[in-house]
Amino acid sequence: MHEASIVLSLLDTLTNRCREEGYSSIESVRIKIGMASGIMPEAIVFAFEAAKQDTIARDAELFIEMVPVGGSCSDCRNDFEVSEAYVVNCPLCGSHSFKIQKGYELDIVEMEVNE
Amino acid sequence: MKVKVVTRILEANDRIAEENMRRFREAGVYVVNLMGAPGAGKTTLLERTILGLKGSLRIGVIEGDIAGTDDAERINNTGVPVVQINTGGACHLDANMISEVLPDLPLSELDILVIENVGNLVCPAEFRVGEDVKVMLLSVTEGHDKPLKYPLMFRESSVMILNKIDLLKHLDVDMNKIKRDALSLNPSMKIFEVSGKTGEGIDRWTEWLKGQRSQ
Ligand SMILES: Nc1nc2c(ncn2[C@@H]2O[C@H](COP(=O)(O)OP(=O)(O)O)[C@@H](O)[C@H]2O)c(=O)[nH]1
Ligand SMILES: [Mg+2]
Ligand SMILES: [Zn+2]
Repeated sequence: MHEASIVLSLLDTLTNRCREEGYSSIESVRIKIGMASGIMPEAIVFAFEAAKQDTIARDAELFIEMVPVGGSCSDCRNDFEVSEAYVVNCPLCGSHSFKIQKGYELDIVEMEVNE
Repeated sequence: MKVKVVTRILEANDRIAEENMRRFREAGVYVVNLMGAPGAGKTTLLERTILGLKGSLRIGVIEGDIAGTDDAERINNTGVPVVQINTGGACHLDANMISEVLPDLPLSELDILVIENVGNLVCPAEFRVGEDVKVMLLSVTEGHDKPLKYPLMFRESSVMILNKIDLLKHLDVDMNKIKRDALSLNPSMKIFEVSGKTGEGIDRWTEWLKGQRSQ
């Protein structure tokens, strides 16, 4: 799976940022993963625990916020969220005309660092 | 101390992808990232596409596989420049792998570069490589549940090629459901129906490619 590559990229971005700003270590990391991204949070945690060992994030804790798929309907004008990874029609009025606004995230939010 | 780091996790990859794209633009080559499950018919479609565009467009190919050079050899037999990337386990190509093989291709002598990604319906969709267009190939034998099971690939791809339509008569598959669900994930998706075996529908796809190239 690609979770390992994703974690390596995450650690790369964070440690580069720390080097630029002069931070000595990372205590925690917060990321967002959309439910439709096809990424398994357990696999991310597993890969993170393995990959962080030789980095300044070796003591870092990883917090993952899972983002449900959601959008807004062009007909009934409501915003909605669903529990599936996809939307076929608006769960409120059944319309097929809607815009997906979230659920595909693969984003870094913040980290806690020591100087 | 808390530090906001608002960026995509794959920022490092995205940045190399942008650099690749700059090189492609400079060489004037249109780049297709061809994705799909193992056995969907990607290499067969490529062979047909090369044949269909012979004499009108100059094609080059990058073959991505976990291991082996079978696909690159098939493309080599068609006479177009091809480079093989073995990912050694990784289930997708990333921008850096592409960047490393670019010197091995005569980019400025090409009109179209097709990158056959590693066979997988999930992972490649997440990694930009610097392409102009993401094209996914779905064989009708894979069943009509695929769009809703793998939404990311369908959302990311501007084009879907439904392959193996020669087999439809033997299958209990609802092709309209595939199209309907794919369009609900990605309303602007362009869909082609082809058979890599009989060649049916390939001309519509190659005509579309020509049109893209000349834009
Ligand atoms: N019946 C049928 N078989 C096909 C078609 N396209 C490809 N195949 C067969 O499907 C298998 C896998 O094709 P290949 O191009 O290697 O798939 P790839 O792994 O996606 O590159 C081969 O045995 C092909 O001959 C098609 O349109 N119809
Ligand atoms: Mg192949
Ligand atoms: Zn509605």
